[in-house]
Amino acid sequence: MESLSRRDWMKLSAFGAFGCSMSGWMRALAADAAKHPQRKRACILLWMTGGPPQTDTFDLKPGHANGGKFKPIKTAAPGVEISEHLPQLAKQMKHVVPIRSMSTKEGDHSRATFLLRTGYTPQGPVQYPTMGSVLSKELGGRESELPNYVSIAPYRFLSPAAYGPGFLGPKYSPLVVGNNGGVPIVQPGNNAYERALKVQNLDLPDGVDVAEADARLSLLRSLDDEFVSTRPGVTTNSHKAAYQQAVRMMRSKAVKAFQLDGEPAKLRDRYGRNQFGQGCLLARRLVEHGVPFVEISLNGVNGNQSFAWDTHTNNFNSVQKLCEVLDPGWATLLDDLKDRGLLDTTLVVWMGEFGRTPKINRNQGRDHFPAAWSTVLCGGGVKGGRSYGKTSNDGMKVDDKPVSVPDLMATIATAVGIDPKKQNMSNIGRPIRIADPEAKSIKEILA
Amino acid sequence: MSARRRITPLAGAMLLLGLAGPAFSADNRPVKPADVARVAAIIDRHIDKRLKDNAVTPAPIASDAEFLRRTYLSITGRVPRVAEAHEFLNDRSPDKRQKLVKELLETPGYITHYSTFWRGVLMPEVSADLQTRFLVPGFEAWLRDELRKGTAYDDMVKQILTTKIDSGRNMRNIYARLGEANPVAFFQAKQAQPENLAAAVSRMFLGVRIECAQCHDHPSDTWKREQFWSFAAFFAGIQRRGTNVFASVREIPDRREIAIPDTDQVAQAKFLDGKTPQFRFRKPARETLAEWITAKDNPYFAKMAVNRIWHKLFGVGIVEPVDDFTSLNPPSHPELLNELANEFKKHNYDLKFLVRAIAASKAYQRTSRQTHASQSNPQLFARMTVQALTPEQLFDSLATAVGYYQPFQTQNPFVFGRNDSRSEILELFANDSESPAERTATILQALAMMNGRFITEATSVGGSSGRSTPTSRRPRRFGPNGRGSNTLAALLDFPLADTKQRVETLFLATLSRKPTPDESARFVKYVESGGPKQDKDKALADVFWALLNSGEFALNH
Repeated sequence: MESLSRRDWMKLSAFGAFGCSMSGWMRALAADAAKHPQRKRACILLWMTGGPPQTDTFDLKPGHANGGKFKPIKTAAPGVEISEHLPQLAKQMKHVVPIRSMSTKEGDHSRATFLLRTGYTPQGPVQYPTMGSVLSKELGGRESELPNYVSIAPYRFLSPAAYGPGFLGPKYSPLVVGNNGGVPIVQPGNNAYERALKVQNLDLPDGVDVAEADARLSLLRSLDDEFVSTRPGVTTNSHKAAYQQAVRMMRSKAVKAFQLDGEPAKLRDRYGRNQFGQGCLLARRLVEHGVPFVEISLNGVNGNQSFAWDTHTNNFNSVQKLCEVLDPGWATLLDDLKDRGLLDTTLVVWMGEFGRTPKINRNQGRDHFPAAWSTVLCGGGVKGGRSYGKTSNDGMKVDDKPVSVPDLMATIATAVGIDPKKQNMSNIGRPIRIADPEAKSIKEILA
Repeated sequence: MSARRRITPLAGAMLLLGLAGPAFSADNRPVKPADVARVAAIIDRHIDKRLKDNAVTPAPIASDAEFLRRTYLSITGRVPRVAEAHEFLNDRSPDKRQKLVKELLETPGYITHYSTFWRGVLMPEVSADLQTRFLVPGFEAWLRDELRKGTAYDDMVKQILTTKIDSGRNMRNIYARLGEANPVAFFQAKQAQPENLAAAVSRMFLGVRIECAQCHDHPSDTWKREQFWSFAAFFAGIQRRGTNVFASVREIPDRREIAIPDTDQVAQAKFLDGKTPQFRFRKPARETLAEWITAKDNPYFAKMAVNRIWHKLFGVGIVEPVDDFTSLNPPSHPELLNELANEFKKHNYDLKFLVRAIAASKAYQRTSRQTHASQSNPQLFARMTVQALTPEQLFDSLATAVGYYQPFQTQNPFVFGRNDSRSEILELFANDSESPAERTATILQALAMMNGRFITEATSVGGSSGRSTPTSRRPRRFGPNGRGSNTLAALLDFPLADTKQRVETLFLATLSRKPTPDESARFVKYVESGGPKQDKDKALADVFWALLNSGEFALNH
């Protein structure tokens, strides 16, 4: 770095956004992604913070004491039954595959969250990137106007590293909406989520026109080029990357993807007028505009936005309430994607960090349980209308076709058209594969 | 100000000889500058040896301006004001760096910044659980009192661990106590649960992460599940009535056994080194624990504190992550950590002494500029690591740079949901990474700095059309009540300054340094040209905007 003169550096960075003129400001460049013939695949992750109970959602145990009080219902897929509290999803079951044989080893929120979201156990100095960073790096365009990875309302507190780009670097960080520093900002009793789901401060301030903004950016560039180039490191590079991406977004017309106002009121109602429901709608709009990876966290209902699914006490009431939010949001998302011809190319993943104990505890709750639990894949790239794997009658162990986290990760990557064996260089100078080398994609459910 | 700082040669000599100076250590014995220099030399001996062994060429000592900015940010949590920068940069005395550190440690800025810092360390729950924010004012008030008194670190920890938490027989309403200066909030934030307290106490004060052993034997370390619960047993007497943060608490102080969940086992209180405590009749278990934790022969306590302060000043710990002392995560400089811990004990756990000694080292004073390819490993301390500012540091620096004064609000625990600039920026810049060297900026932060309300107000020049009177061209006033002052307004109102001086003042206000000749020429030319608006005032505002948005402003280097 030292050998570069300042002039060289300025020439180099002229390729970055600081070098771009702002005068292209209003030029419409966005083309609807769906119309593009070689449309790349996309992935939407529905992240269930806290660990949802498989026994009360996708792997019911009727007739056994562990089953609890929820009843199974028939679905559009013959032979596949799910919880009575997911009636709308049941109708979409042709596109859905519950994997009932997840078998993992981490029972602590932080460690398990890291494992499920990166595909690797947290250990040693390797900073594994989160799934969204890895997949959007492969699927996204290099100079897209919208970020390639948008994260809606993540609850990052206990395992921040599981939400970051790790060794891929700040360039692959998500654009986070509906969140501040780890804690979702939605408060109860109002429509704060409406505001929270928008990108703030995208417009130039009053009284500043494009010419002045251009002039300001060029002054800024002259200051930053010198500072950043002489002090290489995470903080300086990420400062530069954040400004580059911000400027690119400001110049883009594609940011209208974040405006939910134009959507028909009826459709918005169907998604559910809450953060998760509207987040699902936003995800559809973003995918439609070419964003390859979007995740929405379901952290709670109303104002309680933390570890929703961590139902150590009062499991059944909580899960029922959560399902009332989850079911319309998720089912409408699948339906809406299908209506727009996007479902074939969009994989929707539902998972949390682990399952919950089949045995019901003294407080009518269920505790952490990684030994035998469920995740769900739907939409593009998978063969819906069936279930995969099997647990014992009491739900305590996997009886058939155990699936590890690397297997799941490899399956997800394959479903969106990425080779899970592909390598990225890590922070310790060792190449790391997208999924652990021992991973086996689940061929049976891949389309 | 400047009269106080200007120092006679005699006074300077007295300082050097340790004959003057009002600084006292925690037990009121004066700290000798010679002692500060001796410990700084210990630091450099160890750091330099590792640099040499690894064939690393260290970066040179930072300029006065770089040192000034870094030290203000690290001790008072904000950049220096223009006048403060001038004063230090013009000071010719050879020991002005040590003097600055010593003086800043006696300012209210130190007390405010370090009470925020320690609260962040001790009550991390606040960033996740909005309810616990009600507990902040009382806890910070207590911290401020202790920091103002210069209470020794071991004493502060002892106070926390042994504070009275029993709500009393008549269950005094906990809300009435919110805001009272005491450390009870430490327990409330951990839901007064023995297992949460055990995990927090061992991690925060001893650097031992035993929490994984709560449910199972630690997968990669030596901690066993039973050890965890034996440690938790010191808090076994605490019983919370109800499940929320504000539930009242009763305590049977001398209880010291606890049932291990889902087993038939009962764990007896035992220290982490396996020793069984000598309990005395009716002596509270927490008191026995506090004595062991803060004892001079505790193997972890002083080292953890030293590493914490080191990490605060360098952005990288000798042990990194800062509170993860395990055999699998050895310190980068073990002997240094030992010696510093011993000096810390010798100086009666005096936090200010520790800061002074570290800040006097060459290691702390190196530039952050990379001057050689061999300087890339931050744990060798060959150059200063560039750190992200905490949200509070950023806001207080912005406020200093633009001349914003927030009206003081007393007794307001509702520190969230307020529609003011401070809470907006604190929330937007809240970050979940423990390490300031690893914190990454976000698109939303960049957008807020470029287009958001605060910077827009700080950089607008009112009255856009035609020739206006100076008054009408003043930047808009800040704040809900129109209170506040403004750097740009002052500059534009001051008729005698020329463009060069104005540009220089804006550099000092933001980056705490003068522009280089090259920068000065470039920026003066821009302002003189009037920019795209053909308006010199607006062009000056553009320069201010660029400085406030620069990485050099946003980062502590």
